[in-house]
Amino acid sequence: MEETKPRKIMFVNRKAPHGSIYAYEGLEVILIFGAYDQEISAVFLDDAVLSLKKGQDTTELGTKGFSATFRVLESYGVEKRYVDKESLAQRGLTEDDLVVDVEIVDAAALRKVMGEQDVLLPF
Amino acid sequence: MSSLDVSGKTIELDEDGFLKNMDDWDKEVALALAKTENVDMTEAHWEVVNFLRDYYQEYKIAPMIRILTKAIGKAFGKEKGNTKYLYELYPAGPAKQACKIAGLPKPTGCV
Amino acid sequence: MKFGILIQEGPYNHQASDSAYNFILASLAKGHEISGVFFYNDGVINTTKLMDIPADDRNISKRWSDLGAKGVQLIVCVAAAKRRGISQNVLIENARIDGLGQLSELCIESDRLVTFGD
Repeated sequence: MEETKPRKIMFVNRKAPHGSIYAYEGLEVILIFGAYDQEISAVFLDDAVLSLKKGQDTTELGTKGFSATFRVLESYGVEKRYVDKESLAQRGLTEDDLVVDVEIVDAAALRKVMGEQDVLLPF
Repeated sequence: MSSLDVSGKTIELDEDGFLKNMDDWDKEVALALAKTENVDMTEAHWEVVNFLRDYYQEYKIAPMIRILTKAIGKAFGKEKGNTKYLYELYPAGPAKQACKIAGLPKPTGCV
Repeated sequence: MKFGILIQEGPYNHQASDSAYNFILASLAKGHEISGVFFYNDGVINTTKLMDIPADDRNISKRWSDLGAKGVQLIVCVAAAKRRGISQNVLIENARIDGLGQLSELCIESDRLVTFGD
């Protein structure tokens, strides 16, 4: 059996960081999964690319700011962090606007990486 | 326990003895919190507490234990970068006990 | 096949819960195995026994509890549950509150993780 082989698990972040809890609760899952020695990756697409945008301040929203927390992903074992090229461009952002080092991928490349996963977890 | 008296000020705690308001924290409050945990704060204890506070300040979360051990080892010397060392300082568990003394939010208990 | 199930939306408000339930029934009928159902996000609200539903509609939390009685593992995320006031006191029978690590286990041990969300 392949019980001991680490599984390829990808977090598919799709939603804006504020306005709903998906981004935050998704991040909480990512941080826990880091402890399980699997092959963890995360992709940010659609409005989720905004989660990684520098210079966020949630004081006026009255919610906990958590964009800084995305910066721990690498140390928590999320080896690959992808951002969808088109989603980024549509929102007028470039790699320099983001709080973490990511790999920018186009739709075709993303499709390929997703196809290689054992588990996709959408948030 | 629902509050602590620290130099004339009443500090509110939650049902598990964590600070209700993170802004209440100072060194004296930390010492009082340590007392509730029966921890005598030495230089080594402060290293961990201060590290946790800095980490929280930067990343808005408390690091999970294996990240903490790694980072402590890197910052303060290899001999300190292990779970055993942290448990010697904080026998009831560094994540819970040191976080409490550092005035960080209660870990969500999700492992 | 061994299916793990993740439910991310609340009952009645969204079809995720109904779809998951029907998927599980169909899977079991076909001889598949359900390694566990994990309730996350507003999905945790599926597991309160305080629901009071008119007789002409389905009682979603009771339905889950009955499925649990048949041996399907029902796991409710503790952190998500705390945020939404779901505690041991209001939890349906045959479900348990546990950590996110359990979702990780489901991902590891199931052939497929099937997500029901928005």
